[in-house]
Amino acid sequence: MSVAGDIFKDRLMTDTAAAAHPTDPFDAEAINAAEGLDHVDPAYAQVLRITTALNLIPLAIAASIFDYLLIRHIDGPYGLITALAWLTAIIMIVSFPSRRMQRWGYKIGEGQLRVARGWLFRTDTIVPFVRVQHIDVGQGPVERLFGLSHLIVHTSGTHNSTVTLPGLRSDLAAAMRETIRRHIQTDFA
Amino acid sequence: MSEAAAIPTVEAEPDWQRLHPATLALAVVELGPRSLQFLPAVAALGFTGNWVWIVPAIGAFLLISLAAAWFQWLRFRFLVGDDEVVIESGVFSRQHRTIPFDRIQDVSIEQGLVSRALGIAKVGFETGAGGKENDASLDAIALGAAQALRTTIRAHRSGVVAAPATDDASESPKAAGPADDRLLFAMGPGRLLIAGLFNFSLAALAVVGAGMQFFDNLLPFDFNIFNPMDWIDIAEDYGLDQWLLAHRWIAAVGGIVSLLLIGFASGIVTMVFANWAFRLTREPRALRRTRGLTTRTDVAVPVKRVQAAILVTGWFRQRFGWHELRLQSLASDGEKERDHQVVPFGKLEEVDPVLAEVAIARPDADAPWQHSHRIIALGGLVGALAAIAGGLVAVSLGQPLGWFGPLGGVLIGAGSLIGARFHRWTAMDDQVAIRRGLWKPKMTLLPHASVQSIDLKTDFILRPLGLATLVFGVPGGSSLASHEIPAIPIETARGLRDRILAARGRR
Repeated sequence: MSVAGDIFKDRLMTDTAAAAHPTDPFDAEAINAAEGLDHVDPAYAQVLRITTALNLIPLAIAASIFDYLLIRHIDGPYGLITALAWLTAIIMIVSFPSRRMQRWGYKIGEGQLRVARGWLFRTDTIVPFVRVQHIDVGQGPVERLFGLSHLIVHTSGTHNSTVTLPGLRSDLAAAMRETIRRHIQTDFA
Repeated sequence: MSEAAAIPTVEAEPDWQRLHPATLALAVVELGPRSLQFLPAVAALGFTGNWVWIVPAIGAFLLISLAAAWFQWLRFRFLVGDDEVVIESGVFSRQHRTIPFDRIQDVSIEQGLVSRALGIAKVGFETGAGGKENDASLDAIALGAAQALRTTIRAHRSGVVAAPATDDASESPKAAGPADDRLLFAMGPGRLLIAGLFNFSLAALAVVGAGMQFFDNLLPFDFNIFNPMDWIDIAEDYGLDQWLLAHRWIAAVGGIVSLLLIGFASGIVTMVFANWAFRLTREPRALRRTRGLTTRTDVAVPVKRVQAAILVTGWFRQRFGWHELRLQSLASDGEKERDHQVVPFGKLEEVDPVLAEVAIARPDADAPWQHSHRIIALGGLVGALAAIAGGLVAVSLGQPLGWFGPLGGVLIGAGSLIGARFHRWTAMDDQVAIRRGLWKPKMTLLPHASVQSIDLKTDFILRPLGLATLVFGVPGGSSLASHEIPAIPIETARGLRDRILAARGRR
């Protein structure tokens, strides 16, 4: 136990040392490198793009219909809402997903899982393996197209009772699940 | 019944027991509030003009409810075996549940007013399975049988603990005998009175106000005892109004005195009803609390399930050294709370022995408290600005009530600025202590071993300032506890995170 503790303490020390180097705070690539985190699979950007599109395109269509049916009849500025809706949707579908993907990071360390997400509001979560209650590996239809899965780790804490890590290759997700599962067994059996 | 519980039954001898027949009487009492659900149906019958059907409908409802209660009683049976409790229940879908004694953390006994009159008690088995619905209960059996059942289970458990004497050295001496139950804290009538005085609350006024509204519409005659205007009318009839107008200050003083009386009286009454004959004892595995005037509860908090301690005080009572101690536990307390009030009102020297029992320490007087950055007042300040702006807009539109906006805004802003100074924390050997609050200071004592996960959060405001917020995942949440250290320097936050992660696995 103490040996394992020392190992990952060392690991964390190197993490903080790396973070001390000045990096460009607005370079998305630099975040994960600075914090010693691994990237999720780049294909996850496509997953995010398709999900965003599935959410936003119906909204844009609804806005267009609203524009056509109502604004035109009250002699308002017809076309403004339609244009804005489609412009926003296209920007969010084309440019945002790859940034969002780049801001996910994870590290499976000695005895703990670290998951970081977000940029404006960045959250960096650490879950020690011994605290894991159970693990899920999930796959949605869009993720299946790209051979990706997401890993869900459950703890007994009220805050963070589930920690989700998306954008893992399915074989990697399964391997991570096995790693965590072995730790649960060795510590509680 | 108590013999059956006390003497271990012979192997494979079915000795099924039923709930106490008085449970049926309890079901009748419970019909009162339940029949409220029936009111819409009665109203519908009334509105459609089918008056004749109302009485038969109510009769049928009562009959069906009673029959259902009786069937449930008939189909509910339980068996106290050598080392397990078996419960069978359900009229149509049968449920068969086995609870090994080993898995029962403790047995709680609860008696409401009606139950006490009938001499029965509800027995709850605390198994520590998450969620209320997972814990079994017997509602209700005779009080003697309930106490015998608890003795049986406790005797079985201490026997098991004494035999292997395995991992926990601290538990073994405690398990020597059940006579070892030490009294940790008790509240007599004198203490209750003091606590009640500090419990000053004007919540009762809201009740009076609501009563005013309610009786105004309900009373057939034109006088409402809650309505001051009606009293003034009477006074006018007798010429008292002239006298009162001449001595307005008497009316003002009278009003203030009666407000104070209502506040103090309601504080004392709520305190006495909740905490009458409060006793906290240390048992082999748990802290046990009995309290209550009309509804007496008997709850055990398993020591090993305590996750954190919360020390609550008040801006005023703090000056007299009065504190309240709650323990955050995995096991649930009553219906809604997940923290257990173990010392409702006591001095710190009374709190410390209780904390020692759960192996949690209070920080020393000279502990190096560190402050959160003032930036945490930002949210409140933004809200204050919004209130001021909204109020000014309303005033400019000719609405004089808008002046409340700037007034409230200034108050909110000042409150958040001052409150931000009271967010502080200190790191102890294997604990973190977090303090917050000015009006009602709360201190959370969080052992490192309770931490399930750690979030280190930054955002576009904290990051340029080099700050981060630490959020801990702790089992069994509490509305009072804060498991968050907001806005501390990011290197400090990283260091603290490493320290807590390194110290895990203590218990």
